Parts: sequence; C-alpha cells; structure tokens
Amino acid sequence: MQCHPRDEGHVAACADCQARWGLAALDVRLGRVWTGVAAEVWAPSVGRVERLAGQLLRSPGLARALVNTPSLVLSWILASALVLALGVFVTHSTDRPWVALLAPALAGVAIAYSYGPGVDPAWELSQTMTVSDRQVLLVRSLAVFGLNTLFGLAASVFSAQAVGLTLGWLAPMAMVSALALAAATTARSANVGAAVALCGWAMAILGSAAGTDYLTAAVAEGALIPVYLAGAVACVAVTLWATSGSRSIGGVLWR
Amino acid sequence: MAMSNVEVRGLTQRFGRTEVLHGLDLELGAGVFGLLGPNGAGKTTLLRTLATILRPSDGSLRLLGYDPSDHGEKRALRRRLGYLPQSLGYYPNFTVFEFVEYFALLKEMPSREVRPAVVRAIERVGLEDRARSKLRTLSGGMLRRVGIAQAVVNEPDLLLLDEPTAGLDPEQRVGFRQLLREIGADGTVVVSTHLVEDVGAACTEVALMDKGRMVFRGTPEDLVVQGQGHDVGDSPLERGYTSVLAGARA
Repeated sequence: MQCHPRDEGHVAACADCQARWGLAALDVRLGRVWTGVAAEVWAPSVGRVERLAGQLLRSPGLARALVNTPSLVLSWILASALVLALGVFVTHSTDRPWVALLAPALAGVAIAYSYGPGVDPAWELSQTMTVSDRQVLLVRSLAVFGLNTLFGLAASVFSAQAVGLTLGWLAPMAMVSALALAAATTARSANVGAAVALCGWAMAILGSAAGTDYLTAAVAEGALIPVYLAGAVACVAVTLWATSGSRSIGGVLWR
Repeated sequence: MAMSNVEVRGLTQRFGRTEVLHGLDLELGAGVFGLLGPNGAGKTTLLRTLATILRPSDGSLRLLGYDPSDHGEKRALRRRLGYLPQSLGYYPNFTVFEFVEYFALLKEMPSREVRPAVVRAIERVGLEDRARSKLRTLSGGMLRRVGIAQAVVNEPDLLLLDEPTAGLDPEQRVGFRQLLREIGADGTVVVSTHLVEDVGAACTEVALMDKGRMVFRGTPEDLVVQGQGHDVGDSPLERGYTSVLAGARA
C-alpha cells in the first residue's frame, strides 16, 4: 500500500488524501463562506433612496445610475435651493417674479448635466451595458425635472406671487428642460445643452417682454402656454430621434 | 468545426469623410487574440465596434451568435460581454467594490449573484486589500486592475480589452496574462496592445493592423518568422512587427 506523508505540501498536491480527509469539499465550503463574508464586509450599505428607486424602477442597476446623477448630488441640490432662495428674496425686494424666471433656467441646466460624455465619468463603459443609456437618460431627466418642479413650487409659495405667476413657470420649465435635453443629446455635450437652454430662455423672456412691455410676459401670458408645450413636445421628439438606434451622428454611437 | 464567437464581414467605419476601417473580415473562436498596430491603425475603433458602442458604417457583425443590430439580441449579447476602454472613466468617490458592483448591476446580473461575483472579480485582479478604498486614492495601475475587474465580473464569453496592461508593473502583467489565458480557454479575448511581449506571452493568435486594414494574421510564432533577416527591433516579435509593417507600407 502506498505511503502518504501527512505534511501540508503532500496533501495540497494529492487528490487521494484530499478525498480521504474531505478536504476538497471543505475547501469549496470555506471558499463560499469567505466570499459571503467578504461581500458583507466590503459592500457598502444601500441607501434608502436607492432602495426605494430600485423597487420603483424594478432595476437595481437603473436605481444605482439614478442616485449617481451628477446634477442630483447634494452640492448641486443645495446650490439650486440657494439660487431659488435668493430668487425669493429678490422677488420680495423688487416685486418682480424672479423665481418664475429662474426656475426654468435652473431646470434646463440641471437636465443638461444629468448624463452624457464629459459629465458621467464612466459614460463610454455604460454604452456597453445591458441597461441602455436611453433608459438612464430618461430616468435621470424625469428625476431632475421632478425635483426642480418641487423646488419651483416651494419657492413660488414663499414668494407669494399671483396664482398665474406661481404656476406660470411650469410650462416654460418643461420647454426649457426639453430643449436642454435635445441639445445635449444631439450635440453630445452638456455645455452645449446648458448654453442652448439658457440662450433659448433668455430669448423667450426678452422677446415676450419686447412685445408686451413687461418683463414677466414670458411666464404670465397664458397664450404662450400652448407654444411652450408644443416646443417641449418637439424637443422630446428630437431627443428620441437623437437616441434612437436608427441614426448615428458622425458615424458614431450605436445605442 | 468550432463555432465562431466573432464574425465580422466587410466592416467599414467612417467618421464624417474619414474612413477608419476599410472592409475588415474577421472570424474568431475561443482563445486570446492580440491586436497590434501603430497609433491610428484602427484598433480602438474595431474594439468599440465589437463592444457595440459604434455602429458599423458598412458590413455586418455577428457576436456570440447574436446580431447586434437587433435591439433584443444586443441586450442578450451585452450580458455576456466584457469591455475595458482605453481610457477608463471612474467615479472618484466610489470604492473599488462599489465601482465593480455598479457595472455588475448595469449588466443585469441576477441580484443574488452580484456580490459574490464582485468579490471573485476583485480577487482575480488581486485588489482584495483595497476593496474598500476610494478610487481617488488608487494608483494608475490599480485603477487599470479595477477596470479589468468590472470587465470580467460577469464571466464574459467575449472580453474586449483596450491597452489593458498600460500602467501595470511586470509582476502584475504576469498575473494578468494568466487571467487572459484562463478566460481564453473557453471564451474569446481580444486584446489591443502596444506591448509585443504581452502578445508573445498570452496570445494564441495575433493580428497586425495598419491604416484601417489587417496586414497580418497568424500565431505569435508566425510573426517571429516574418522578422527573420530583419534587424529593426529588440526582440524576435518586434522584428516581426516592424518587418510586416514595412512590407505593408512598401
């Protein structure tokens, strides 16, 4: 009968000994235990917002992408709140509707910086993922728009403007946000998206003020609401085209 | 006959009026396939096309049996794909674990499998002791290994690596080549690199690209043979590389 030494070096190399002592199975079990322990120790706890988003979206990946939106990080949210708080203050001081004029601009910039090359560090890598970048774009845009709407509503309540002005910015905000989204996705640049949104909104304010002789016309004229909504729909259509699989700007991205 | 994991027919890529790839044909089965070539040869464009980032301007692709021009098939393909871009963008505040887990989630791995798979991927690249470190605190070589970990976290059948060994020290490169051989035993690995010694050590097959065309394809030994009697280059593979390039440009 073959003699098997009991030293570690031999046992590590000898299948007979491992089988006799049940070491292979033990090794596998220990491996599983270690993997489980390491996963528990290394993994950070999932935050409440991400858990809720995961349940709502039914996709943990999409939820993680949402909570990492560049324009939804705490510093950005605080900056937006601060700008609107200043708007409330200036509105009270000057009796001009600065909140109504600021809210669409803020939302447009935030939408432009929600996703894309140069904004999302791992953007190229995310182009190869099963969760499509169009899904990420949609979820992030809706979340940014929703949050900015809440901020706008809160600021409007505190600025105590007439009802028409309080809600007058909602339609232009939808249009400016859609414009930012369309420009950013078509040009593949958050800076272009933000610039187009700001310029577009400035032109809307100045244009309607020139025609009516008062600065608030862009948010106070009810007749403009259908124009804003039509503009928003057109911009959303451009965004859908820009992110569709049937096109590639400059022979570039697949989607 | 073994099934091809990569089937490329007449692949052309244009950016505006510039044609970057000129009607490439390529068929690959299991193994490690090295892509060599000078800057601007079209290696990264080819890898991005295989990674389904770029849509072909012309020609057809079939990857792991899927047609990436079909939305449903592209999703199924991406579940089995791993990709490391040349320039890895990262979230500085993420830990190593979070970063790899993020991409495992975006690859829609089954929830129960995600965390064990992330642990295994981190172990495979030897970053166990930095699993909880923020990415901003890591060296360039470590970040490269994090990128490799996210690429292999789903045990891909098609692994595409663009300059994976850039920033790795010699010991890490030896370990990395072993990882390539393991994955290449069952799946297809395509590695773009400037380092011909990586090709000699890890690749079962090699192609040399120049100006959007494939000017050589064979084993590393075949490339060495091409360099016999040619004196430009410090190693047999380098002499083969420069000899083939000189011949293609003549």
